[in-house]
Amino acid sequence: MSVGVLDSRNLNGGQKLAVKYFTVAMVLFVAQILFGLLAAVQFIAPGFLFETLDFSVNRMLHINAMVVWMLYGFIGAVYWFLEEESGVEVVGLKLGEIAFWVLTAAVGIVVLVYLFLQIGAGDDTTRWLINEGREYIEAPRWADIGIVAVMLVFFYNVAGTFSKGRWSGVSGVLTLDLVALVGLYLAGMFYTTNVTVDYYWWWWVVHLWVEATWEVLVGCIMAWSLMKLLGVRRKIVQTWLYIEVALMFGSGILGLGHHYFWIGTPEYWLSIGGFFSALEPIPLVAMVVHSIYDAGVHKFKSTNHPALGWVIAHTFGNFFGAGVWGFMHTLPQINLYTHGTQWTASHGHLSFFGAYATINIAFFYLAVQQWRGNVWMGANLADNGWKWKWSMGLLNLGVVGMTVALLIAGYEQSFIERAVEGSTWSGYFAAQTHPWFTEAMFWRLIMGIVTAAGLALLIWDLATIGAGETRPALVIERHEEPGVKAAVVQTA
Amino acid sequence: MNATPLWASETFWKKTAIWVTAVSFLLLIVLTFDSMAKVSAGSTTRVPAYSVINKKIDYRFNASLNRYTPVVEGDAPLFGKILSDEEAEKLVTLGKKTFQAKNCINCHTVLGNGAYYAPDLTKSWLDPNWVDETNREILMLAFLQDPPGNARSYGTGRRMPDLGITEDEARGLIAFLKWTAAIDTNGFPHNFKTLYAQENP
Amino acid sequence: MIEPVQLEDFFLNVFSAAVIVVSGAGYAGFYAWGKIARRPGFVISAYASYASLAAAVWVLAETSHFEGFWRVAAGLMLIGYFAAPLAIFRLCTAMHAGEHSEHDRPIANQQQEEEQS
Ligand code: HEM
Ligand code: HEM
Ligand SMILES: [Fe+2]
Repeated sequence: MSVGVLDSRNLNGGQKLAVKYFTVAMVLFVAQILFGLLAAVQFIAPGFLFETLDFSVNRMLHINAMVVWMLYGFIGAVYWFLEEESGVEVVGLKLGEIAFWVLTAAVGIVVLVYLFLQIGAGDDTTRWLINEGREYIEAPRWADIGIVAVMLVFFYNVAGTFSKGRWSGVSGVLTLDLVALVGLYLAGMFYTTNVTVDYYWWWWVVHLWVEATWEVLVGCIMAWSLMKLLGVRRKIVQTWLYIEVALMFGSGILGLGHHYFWIGTPEYWLSIGGFFSALEPIPLVAMVVHSIYDAGVHKFKSTNHPALGWVIAHTFGNFFGAGVWGFMHTLPQINLYTHGTQWTASHGHLSFFGAYATINIAFFYLAVQQWRGNVWMGANLADNGWKWKWSMGLLNLGVVGMTVALLIAGYEQSFIERAVEGSTWSGYFAAQTHPWFTEAMFWRLIMGIVTAAGLALLIWDLATIGAGETRPALVIERHEEPGVKAAVVQTA
Repeated sequence: MNATPLWASETFWKKTAIWVTAVSFLLLIVLTFDSMAKVSAGSTTRVPAYSVINKKIDYRFNASLNRYTPVVEGDAPLFGKILSDEEAEKLVTLGKKTFQAKNCINCHTVLGNGAYYAPDLTKSWLDPNWVDETNREILMLAFLQDPPGNARSYGTGRRMPDLGITEDEARGLIAFLKWTAAIDTNGFPHNFKTLYAQENP
Repeated sequence: MIEPVQLEDFFLNVFSAAVIVVSGAGYAGFYAWGKIARRPGFVISAYASYASLAAAVWVLAETSHFEGFWRVAAGLMLIGYFAAPLAIFRLCTAMHAGEHSEHDRPIANQQQEEEQS
């Protein structure tokens, strides 16, 4: 075992596969930001790359890269703890390895097709080979099928490994959640001419992913991290995970109704969607209480400050992005005006970044720590840890800055386009040329550049943090088999 | 060790989680069946049959519902030809497939979902932008086949790119948009004034 | 049936919505922290947060023209936001009840502290 250098001998089988996923995730994160910047420039200079890389292409790459890098991060995180949580080696590691390369090749091909073919004729071939033309799930049908196949391999590895080793509350919730997550993807894999029916099922994928199954998946990842890194007792962590599942699914499943206000679906969705989505902030408030309680009772010290910092950013980001920004526009009385404006984009940025980018980044830091031989990454880092601190500061400042700019733009748009002008095309453009809007777009670009600077530092930091470090980090593990008291396992 | 009370125990919350999830999901399934029955094309007035493209579509304020609702009245055949139900569905289908194939949704919204770089298309068929009834079809056909050449931009400088839309595809798109304009969206977008309302206020 | 927000109430409406969630967390957080640290000042801040939440619910209900079902929902919101944090706190204490007989802090961390001092 080597300390202070990236050495795959420091990793178990699942972890070796996990770092591959993390690496691709980072590459796609860079792509996300790059295409986001191009799209943001086009708001200010519409002639930029016109008919070469149009806004639609850049935006599609921006949001697809985001969804895919986050999924890569989640898959990696699960492979990361699979062996420790189950107590045995991953059952189909070779298969998992093949699946990784197949998925990555497919993603590469899809990106090239998006960039160079972009669109096709209005027939079925286009949907199968080039582009499905539905937001977030643009991947052509062949790729959908490939994604499902790869997810099945992943699922086989998860369920198979736990079955061979041991099951636990965390692994049970995780496995069932993965079934739901993959199952929901199927709801987006068919064609229909009826645009109302189309959106009805499309929201199953989008909403029931980010507001239900992804939240619970992150809950599982957090649960494992709490036990592993802070030595919190399994029983407490698992009880808490069940509470979270009850609150998340209890509010989030029917909260789906907040997307069925205006798409042609019956009026009862106004009440159902309004009511249940008003409950959605509750689990997020509960998490705040729980973390305060834990922080207060345990006074934890961490051997990985960057990871801890990003976990805290996750708690706040999830609370503000999803809880506060979500609730602000979720009642139909106001959503009638804000629906489909930059307001929505404001919420989309803060919530996706706050809830999911943060937790992935936290896990990348955990992975790097172990990969370097489980070195010390707590207080007194070399260089005072300026790189992680600055990158965290810049990334958060950038995204919050963009969120505020978009909120101002969205507010103005709801006001001018919707309320005053009666939502006509000329009303739309009147709002787009208003100084509040154009200045907001300018500041969004500036804050986007700040975000990009933070990302550059993050990459540099992940590549160098802990290099040459010799102080070991101690890992705490509390075994709770009957009769065995808290034990300290030192991996060094 | 103190015993944990039942209401704070792992098994209690495990059961609660299962029940809450199951009940919520079951309710969603029931509501889904009901909604699907009500939104299949032509089953109710919420989502009209595709042959609505043979008719004149307008909106009127409905005081009891406190919002604008679609009114379908009188013949107004698209491109001057009354289509059978099958022909209408075929044309709208071509339009919807083209809508997806050209990635319209990553600049525009429809039913308010999509991207925010270009106007919402939900009621674009009825937008005053098309001046009046007689010009509309001609203007739309020309625009879709050569968007940069017919760009208005309203001072934003934003133009729609040439997406290689053929004349047939353009006709399909217009049929799709006309049909979409007749969907009852519970009053979205708010206070929308149709081309007709603008003509005779 | 809904009666959309009036133009001039836009800001009040969305601002009160944000205040509800933020004060909800403030109330819950102050309450929990006040109990753990045994500082009554925090518990007072908690109730002040709740008061601002209640005021915000009222503003939201007025500007959103809540009637019938929606009024009931606002009432439930008031009750739910009041009771849920108390329940969650009690839940946290009860869950951790068995724990204090053992070490409060992971042993390894204590070693670390000694090393650093
Ligand atoms: C981490 C969790 C969440 C994420 C990642 C997220 C993300 C998003 C995104 C990306 C959209 C835009 C979808 C589109 O492109 O059309 C959206 C829409 C929306 N979200 Fe969330 N969201 C989350 C949680 C919530 C919560 C908790 C609420 C309510 C309390 C909420 C309320 C809404 C509403 C009402 C819309 C529709 C906006 C419109 O009408 O245009 N979201 N969300
Ligand atoms: C350099 C930083 C970024 C820039 C310049 C940027 C720019 C953009 C632009 C121009 C759009 C299209 C909005 C429209 O249709 O009008 C967009 C959409 C979106 N971006 Fe970003 N973005 C950035 C970073 C991020 C990050 C970090 C996330 C999340 C982790 C994110 C998530 C999203 C989402 C979810 C949407 C779709 C929103 C919706 O449809 O409502 N972006 N972004
Ligand atoms: Fe949602």
